Amino acid sequence: MLEKLKLRNFRCFEALDAEFASTNVIRGPNAQGKTSLLEAICVLLRLQSPRVSSLAAAIRHEQKGFVLDGLFDARHMQFYLGAARRKLALDSVEQKSASEYLKIGRAVYFSNRDVEIVRGPADLRRKFLDFAAFQVDSAYRSQLRSYEKALRSRNLLLKEPRPNRRQIAAFDGPLVAAGDYITAARTRLIAALQPFAEEAHKDITRSAETLSLAHRRGGGADFRRTLEAATGEDLRLRQTTAGPHRDDLHLLLNGRSPEIASEGQQRTIALALRLAVCALLAEHAGRPPLLLIDDVFGELDFERRNALLKRLPAGSQKFITATDIAWMAPGEARLFHLAAGRLAALTKPPG
Amino acid sequence: MGERQIPALHVKRVEYPGAIKALIGQLKRMPGIGPRSAERIALWLVLSRDAKPREIAEAIGESARITPCSKCGFFAEEALCEICRDDSRSPELLCIVEQPTDILPLERTGMFRGLYHSLGGRISPLDHIGPENLRIDALLNRVKTEAPEEIILALGGDVEGEATANYLAELLEQHPVALTRIAQGLPAGAGLESADELTLSRALSGRTKMKMPKFG
Repeated sequence: MLEKLKLRNFRCFEALDAEFASTNVIRGPNAQGKTSLLEAICVLLRLQSPRVSSLAAAIRHEQKGFVLDGLFDARHMQFYLGAARRKLALDSVEQKSASEYLKIGRAVYFSNRDVEIVRGPADLRRKFLDFAAFQVDSAYRSQLRSYEKALRSRNLLLKEPRPNRRQIAAFDGPLVAAGDYITAARTRLIAALQPFAEEAHKDITRSAETLSLAHRRGGGADFRRTLEAATGEDLRLRQTTAGPHRDDLHLLLNGRSPEIASEGQQRTIALALRLAVCALLAEHAGRPPLLLIDDVFGELDFERRNALLKRLPAGSQKFITATDIAWMAPGEARLFHLAAGRLAALTKPPG
Repeated sequence: MGERQIPALHVKRVEYPGAIKALIGQLKRMPGIGPRSAERIALWLVLSRDAKPREIAEAIGESARITPCSKCGFFAEEALCEICRDDSRSPELLCIVEQPTDILPLERTGMFRGLYHSLGGRISPLDHIGPENLRIDALLNRVKTEAPEEIILALGGDVEGEATANYLAELLEQHPVALTRIAQGLPAGAGLESADELTLSRALSGRTKMKMPKFG
């Protein structure tokens, strides 16, 4: 559980200090930093933002860098990011690599834009998969980085005025090695998510509709062969046409594509996917992940809202943002009000 | 309110003498040395009794004589470096490294008695470094004239290191020389539990034989 959080120069927050309970509800008008606060918690635990790919964008305007500092399960986590360098510390010991640090906390981020995972472009589904894979497979991060580096190198060589085939082929080895790893890890992840997603979906809809997940491999059944076969095409188009960077997560509702499903059905699928990740992480780590729920409840009707609340893993710490909390049963939650970058606790922590 | 007003002074501001300023200016160009450190080192050179600035100047002057070895690329005071001049080394073994600085750690193992060849980098399109920027032609010439029996690739295990190894393997395909690469795996003295999955998987795929099955 995240007990304490300190932010310095993170997005709209000049300085913020807070103590949290097991369930935290953050209320406040729009554009006051609710999403940024959840983002900060996510970055503290996972060194990654659910919103942007470059964390430098989260440094407060005209400041050198941000500091995130938190007490999570009695571990002191600190992350500094400046324009030129980044620093990680665990219990005040500086960490050269992120591997120990990333083993500590796991998080799932529910956003009101999650429906885009279902109906948006494939790269949003790949991002969804990657964010989950980082948390169950500690080698995934470096493998994905190697893959991207090999891919960018190969694409640069293909774009040269007179591409050198021997040089391009030299990058096929590292591309295939990392690519095969990514492909296998994604296939495993999707297979592991399948039963959880199906169950969560049935539970929310109370219907007999079956949600199924499939991995569409951008590198085909045998990536090395596909890559070799595509050499001519790659040289013509001047980019690598096959590989996990063309992967997709294929979603089917009763065997049919959800593109034709209603808005409400699409939202339910997105919700089921997030809940499946929660269940998988809980199973993997032996305890539930931290949940960041950003303005999701306002979008849902009464029934879906309750189904979601009921499905959230028991014992997980929750951070819920909302503009309006009239629907919420009073009780166990700690209430905060956030306006103009200032967070005020409205209730004492329970207990 | 109670502060005493300091009158504006219209005299020339005093700075360090030109020699010290020049010294600071040169020191600042060194890696890892900012203006503050440069000033501190310059003052130490000037003021400290133990500084011996002439000896330092002499050593710096001497270092200008160092050139890359015309054969292997290691640091040399003459045309050839100490390693290439050593007759007792076996020319049948040629170890290829990325940088001349990679040679010393290999030398310190005391396990290798062959010769080296430093490429001066690795193929890295993202940094605009291609094979033509590396000492690859020189390597091919050496392979022809020196005819080593085995070439050992001791390149980095990252994407660029792997790509460079693949590139060289393909280039050396027609040459009558054995090609090997250094193993990747567990650090010495460490248990399995402290290794990450990637290191372990490489250690597994690069496993070595201990015994063959007995038949009959």
